[in-house]
Amino acid sequence: MRSVLSKLLRRTHLYIALFLTPWVLMYTASTFVMNHKSHAHGSAPPPRWETLSDKPYDGAFPSSANEHDMARQILASVDMDGAHQVSKRGDGKIVIQRFAAVQPLRLTYEPVSKRLLIERQLPNTSAFLERMHRRRGYQHPYALEDTWAFSVDFFIAGVIFWALSGLWLWWEMKVTRTFGALALAGGIALFASFLAVL
Amino acid sequence: MKFLHINRRTHLYLSLFLLPWFLLYGASSIVFSHGTYFEELDQAKRIPLWIKIAERTNYEIPVPGEGGDLKPFAERVVTDLGLNGSHGAFRQSPNRIDVFNFTFWRSTQAKYFIDEKRLVVEDRRFRWDHFLTGMHASGGFEEGGWRNFWAVLVDVVCAGMLLWIVTGLIMWWKLPQTRNWGWLALVSGAMSFAWFLWKL
Repeated sequence: MRSVLSKLLRRTHLYIALFLTPWVLMYTASTFVMNHKSHAHGSAPPPRWETLSDKPYDGAFPSSANEHDMARQILASVDMDGAHQVSKRGDGKIVIQRFAAVQPLRLTYEPVSKRLLIERQLPNTSAFLERMHRRRGYQHPYALEDTWAFSVDFFIAGVIFWALSGLWLWWEMKVTRTFGALALAGGIALFASFLAVL
Repeated sequence: MKFLHINRRTHLYLSLFLLPWFLLYGASSIVFSHGTYFEELDQAKRIPLWIKIAERTNYEIPVPGEGGDLKPFAERVVTDLGLNGSHGAFRQSPNRIDVFNFTFWRSTQAKYFIDEKRLVVEDRRFRWDHFLTGMHASGGFEEGGWRNFWAVLVDVVCAGMLLWIVTGLIMWWKLPQTRNWGWLALVSGAMSFAWFLWKL
């Protein structure tokens, strides 16, 4: 019975790790970039954008529409519906940040002239990694976002499972117990000292 | 000692040493991923998050002009209040500068009202979810001291993750009976991730 459980844990530990390898690589690379942000970005220049289109937008909005309703309508009408943030600037312009993993979009609607400017962010590896790292949660009303959020939760469950199953598998290998206990105690002691001073 | 033996032991001992960080990042990611839930849970308690602990009137301090460097200002306030930990400042409005100071366990903010020369100091009530996310978000080499040492450990965790992947792949490849299912897991994971990159 114990050997069956042990084999099951080993195999699950392995296959989950293989499946989640891209997530591990992405979180590793993005963590490294964020940890060295001041070196990587210098004075953090603003993202650069290229114009995709700048033309009149003739859609009519209901009188009760707020900027969120307007954003949804604009995005749907240009076939770009998806996770976004919207803000209304002091000059009345509606600015929609349409999330995208590689190249986010920015749509600026000018209500007076009824023009819609659509821009796309130029590729930037650091910004891309940071965006992926921070993308999570179920706050957007889109199935795609929920699916990604679920994959993040699955990754978190994987991390905790690796830790717990790893402990079990270590304890089964009697020959590694002494050095393993030293490594574990050393890690805990160092972590505890950070907790004490930081 | 054979290469495969070293490979297995590296995978194991590195994991054991970095286990606290691994658990920290795992547990804190739950809070990040379900932030709304934790916020609602706390708001249901109906207890203020920030608690006023001090107020100083006639607090004279040189104020930097608009767009000026706020670091010396923050350092002076933090020193006057006898606080330790990381700190920074931002201009909340033309008439107000906020200084924040934090450790893993405590977070303090000092609001300086320029016209009134008044400094209001508040402590943030301790919350486990904030404690975890605060540690998760700590990093970078800007502050020096122990913070830099922590940042080095963050790099070590990154290096550790890469080593787990490499050593794990080698261990997998040396188990021929797991190759078919292993390939299936690896390829389906890569394809799922690529699909997300394409669609997200």
